[in-house]
Amino acid sequence: MKKVYCEVSKCLGCRSCEIACAVEHSKGKTLFLAIKEDPISIQRRKVQSVSKLVISDACHHCIEAPCVNACMSGAMYKEKDGSTQHDEEKCVGCWMCIMACPFGTISRSKKLAIKCDLCKDNVKGPMCVISCPTKALLFKEVQRGDL
Amino acid sequence: MNYIIIGASAAGISAIEAIRSVDKNGKITVISDENYAIYSRCVLSYYLAGIVTEDKLKYRNDNFFKNNNVEAILGKKVVSVLPDKKVKLSDGTELTFDKLLIATGSRSKMESIPGIEKEGVFGLRNIDDAKKIETRLNKTKSAVMLGGGLIGLRAAYALHKRGVKVTVVVKSKHVLSQMMDEEGASFIQNRMQEQGINILTELAAKEITGNKEVKGVILENGNKIDCETIVIGKGVQPNIELVKNTNIKTDWGIVVNEYLQTTSIDIYSAGDIAQSSDLITGESTINALWPNAIAQGKVAGLNMVGKNIKYNGSIGMNSVEFFDLPTISYGITKPKGEGFEVLIRKNLNKNIYKKIVLKDNKIVGFVLVNDINQSGVYGSLIEKKVDVSSIKNILLDNNFNFAKILLLISGNKKSFTEPEYEEILINK
Repeated sequence: MKKVYCEVSKCLGCRSCEIACAVEHSKGKTLFLAIKEDPISIQRRKVQSVSKLVISDACHHCIEAPCVNACMSGAMYKEKDGSTQHDEEKCVGCWMCIMACPFGTISRSKKLAIKCDLCKDNVKGPMCVISCPTKALLFKEVQRGDL
Repeated sequence: MNYIIIGASAAGISAIEAIRSVDKNGKITVISDENYAIYSRCVLSYYLAGIVTEDKLKYRNDNFFKNNNVEAILGKKVVSVLPDKKVKLSDGTELTFDKLLIATGSRSKMESIPGIEKEGVFGLRNIDDAKKIETRLNKTKSAVMLGGGLIGLRAAYALHKRGVKVTVVVKSKHVLSQMMDEEGASFIQNRMQEQGINILTELAAKEITGNKEVKGVILENGNKIDCETIVIGKGVQPNIELVKNTNIKTDWGIVVNEYLQTTSIDIYSAGDIAQSSDLITGESTINALWPNAIAQGKVAGLNMVGKNIKYNGSIGMNSVEFFDLPTISYGITKPKGEGFEVLIRKNLNKNIYKKIVLKDNKIVGFVLVNDINQSGVYGSLIEKKVDVSSIKNILLDNNFNFAKILLLISGNKKSFTEPEYEEILINK
């Protein structure tokens, strides 16, 4: 399946991806409208670093998704395209998914778990990729053989 | 192939999905003594609290059995497993199988307190319990929870949300004593008390008073609490009666090997009834939790169709949030004996408490209060059993996150075998 990958050598840690993500998942869909929303839209992608290494990371849409196994309300599920999606209507905010995610990519927004949905409702595709000034983020398919 | 699955909760449903992912045509029959199928027990307290409606208890769609070509026998109990690969139902029917999964779960442990049979005393294990408690709400001004474990506290929270005056009676020194250390639990206990839930520790009930219906509880110290409803949260007990008089080995639950096979060939067990090894301690035990049941159901199901998959072991882990205070406990939280190292960081102004327990430089457990986002990263380090000495000093930093373990992952590729790790490393 197509996922978002971060080419670490190109990532500056500018956080443009974080802002694009938060704006895309806001109600207003623009930065200025998003700022005063309550709850404020939280980014699902986070820039992290270790020594000199910078990486923009979000849900890896794991093949064997621990969050899906852990979800006791059936909110977290695997979509036919292979992505891991979250039905916020079903979420009860038990945080079992947060407990299970080995990448720490699920956050709390008040009583709801939130995570990368690959901007499934936007025909343009993941906004983090579009926003990345250095093209460090790529939306692509990686074949197992390529690794 | 003819599969029978006894029990239609997490482990049973997960096994059905696993079997069907390989065997599209085999006959699958699932039998449950409950009339409602595929609802989440863990969400029951949210239902009782009035946070979710009944339809939200369903974690798979209504056509699940039909879509998976499963024959569901609901409202009938399997009374015994018979020799010659047969099971006997409560109505006398006998059914044969090639492969059997016993996923009958557990039930609320009811204590032998005088008066426990009175109207108004409940467990909180299945949907009928939740509905009965709910029906009684109109005559319930006060309620007493006997037990300060997860069920007792979840029930207390739910009834408090419904405007009931709640008292929790806890035998131990503090709430959640099975899963959490005293200091971690104190944050929860304080928050609940601040919000008006009365918690009495180091006490137990001596007698439940009333005629036909509950009127109150008399405690060991002679104090009396008036109440109309009592919820018993004294742990659970595996439903193993159906394998009595068989060659299936039982202990606390049904004993299974690493393939989740019982001592009887072709009979598997998973979920809250299956006694398997604990991933961290190696002990034979039951960690009766949703994620373990799902994982076990999957492994058992795949092995029933002829795969040969080992189960890694279960983990004692829990996530709860009461009154906006999220907490997670995982693995060994109260180390006893030698060789443990404990790291603690707290910020009392923010109600943050973080504790990591290590042994031989490997993480074996943690408690997180009000800062839980990285719990899965810690959990992965426990599961992979990697030496964390190189990052020990930053484990509890505020900015600890997945990136901080990247170097550890590249140095332990044999442990981090999932393709998702490989993808990150290749792009690094």
